[in-house]
Amino acid sequence: MDMKINKMLAAVGVSSMLLGTALVGCSSESSGGGENEDGKTVVELAGWGSTPEEEKLLKETIASFEEKHPDIEVKHEVIADQYMDVTKTRLVGGEAADVFYLDALEAPSLIDTGVLEPLDDYVSEDFDIEDFEEPLLNAFKVDGTQYGFPKDFSTLSLFYNETALEEAGLEGPPETWEELGEYAEKLTVDEDGDGQPERFGLGLSKELARQFYKFQPYGGQVVDDNGKAAFASEEAIASLKPVIEMYQEDQSAGLPSDVGTDWGGDMFGQGKAAMVIEGNWTIPFLEDNFSDLNFTTAELPTINGEKATAAFTVAYVMNKQSEVKEASWELISYLTGKEGMETWTSKGFALPTRKSVAEKLGYDEDPLRQSFVEGASYAQPWQAGKNLPTIMTNFDNQFISALLGEQTLEEAMQKAQDTANKEIESSN
Amino acid sequence: MDPMKKEDHSQVFQKRGSKQKKQPRRPKKVRSKAFKEGFSGYLFMSPTIFTIGIFVVIPILYALYLSFNDVQLLGGIGYEFIGLDNYTRSFDDDRAMIALKNTAEYVFIVVPVQTCLALLLAAALNSNIRGKNAFRIIFFLPTVTSSAVLTIIFMWMYNPDGLINTILAFLQMPTYNWLADPSIALKSIMIMNIWATAPFFMVIYLAAMQDISDSVYEAATIDGANWWQKFIYITIPILKPVTFFVVVMGVIGTFQLFDQSYIFSGGSGGPNNSTLTIVLLIYQYAFKSLDMGYASALAVILAIIIMVVTLIQKKFFGEEKLHD
Repeated sequence: MDMKINKMLAAVGVSSMLLGTALVGCSSESSGGGENEDGKTVVELAGWGSTPEEEKLLKETIASFEEKHPDIEVKHEVIADQYMDVTKTRLVGGEAADVFYLDALEAPSLIDTGVLEPLDDYVSEDFDIEDFEEPLLNAFKVDGTQYGFPKDFSTLSLFYNETALEEAGLEGPPETWEELGEYAEKLTVDEDGDGQPERFGLGLSKELARQFYKFQPYGGQVVDDNGKAAFASEEAIASLKPVIEMYQEDQSAGLPSDVGTDWGGDMFGQGKAAMVIEGNWTIPFLEDNFSDLNFTTAELPTINGEKATAAFTVAYVMNKQSEVKEASWELISYLTGKEGMETWTSKGFALPTRKSVAEKLGYDEDPLRQSFVEGASYAQPWQAGKNLPTIMTNFDNQFISALLGEQTLEEAMQKAQDTANKEIESSN
Repeated sequence: MDPMKKEDHSQVFQKRGSKQKKQPRRPKKVRSKAFKEGFSGYLFMSPTIFTIGIFVVIPILYALYLSFNDVQLLGGIGYEFIGLDNYTRSFDDDRAMIALKNTAEYVFIVVPVQTCLALLLAAALNSNIRGKNAFRIIFFLPTVTSSAVLTIIFMWMYNPDGLINTILAFLQMPTYNWLADPSIALKSIMIMNIWATAPFFMVIYLAAMQDISDSVYEAATIDGANWWQKFIYITIPILKPVTFFVVVMGVIGTFQLFDQSYIFSGGSGGPNNSTLTIVLLIYQYAFKSLDMGYASALAVILAIIIMVVTLIQKKFFGEEKLHD
């Protein structure tokens, strides 16, 4: 009889232990920050990872914020991979950070769902909202409401290997896209003659993010007024043609993967491309990893007679479910304020979105960064309505097959546009 | 040990007489004892029932429910019953069709190849070659390695300047862009997966082969059969139930291909949708677009496909058992 009771007890014990564990797991943790044991308000800040140098800079900026606000503690968290997937899932579960990074590209769709706190009521006179570059501010504005403040931005410029240009007898950077094609042909080197160049004239990036800015000078666009994909227009195709010709006919342009590299900066640094079109994040990368490389930057060659480049920007936004909104705003306003932004952009990994800070740091006179700052005045922000993620996936998928010659550019773009629009329709 | 029996044994000597008196009441007592036994049995199973219920059964039922709804997650959770719309949508979804085609191609190539390879490896290791234990361990290593680690190592080897192309170039053979060429990328994953999974099924084959009685082979030898005839007419027919198991597990595993193509393409299923599999597509709809209803519908469709394929196989292999 004893044994039976023991067995029962054991079983009850095990099950209740299990149940207990599960219940503990379920017990709700409050979303985001709250108060810590010292009575300080805790603000959670989430972002994606970057280089150790940038991490250090962000830590410095946060430390100086905490010094000025002794009642606030900032808990910084890095989301290492698939940032948007993780953030969206956490927002659904009510576990997202109080303040987090948001790329301009994702902004329209996230703002549309209503999970972000409108920031207009928090802005004070001191914050000096006029100081921001307007196109970058507008990337986070919907129907006149501001949902985020851009922390920094990057534009695209032409990186070229000065030694290679000299050897080929070329002087100065190409001024027009046609000239760029001629340069690229002269700079392509295929020593063993196997048809697979050891060095391409131009390193290409095949993503829509690196192509879309060419549409406008030809009169094309990424999306139409209804937010549907519109890149299969004659104008847009005309703007993409030169790249396809360089890749297929002249073989003067190559993809990073063609030469076993991950991205344009690496391709350029290893000497496998004489020119690449990249952002200012490439400068510290090249200086750190390829210190003997003799390179400089220039504004992008004109496209169809017009200056054009892309701008990529990221903002700090506030979680609507945050329990510490006042403190969260203190953090955002410091990080995007004149003082915080100056610390954050002082090393030139990214450029300041405030005109006064750019002026103070003297980037308009820095030989390597000048072209990026110049570009800001005519750059097109990488953003095109809330359907852009879908449109981008479909473009990227088909453009590569046109580039590889599996189908014509017209066919590929038409297919990508139709698929994207079908997906947009069925998801609404 | 059964407590009821223990009680009975002690009663045999002490209370033989009194036991007889109690006999009319016995059936009732047995029933209540049986109930108690059953109850404690369920109590013992409760941890497992609890875990499986919470983490398997309820999610499956919930996914089924979600697949008939339009689910809104961000900015206020909302369900809207839309009947079969999610299912009809999938027939009109080009990417779903591409994913299905890729997955089917993958299954039809990988399952036969890995099954044959596993059988051959097992046959080789079952013979009396020198150092077979060492070979068993070496062959089994890929299976115990994490698939994420394997994928990363293979991506280095598949690099245009990597190990495989270097060897191919050295042997004067054509080199390929294993990762970025849409017509090759899926095959790169196939090669990697065959290499990694075949050894697992090899172990299963090997265990079954060692169960085959030597007398069968001896009889065949006396009848004048050579090793090939023995392999074809004895080993393979006897292993038929094992082959059924291996093929079914292989089909289920390959239909659920996700991690390798996810790492290969960085989650996009590219280049040009060539590594897009059904599970990867489900992941994209569920967590990138947060379209849980449609993602659940795709998951249910995949489950139905796997079930149908398994039933067809069962028909094809018949219902034999290893020992009877």
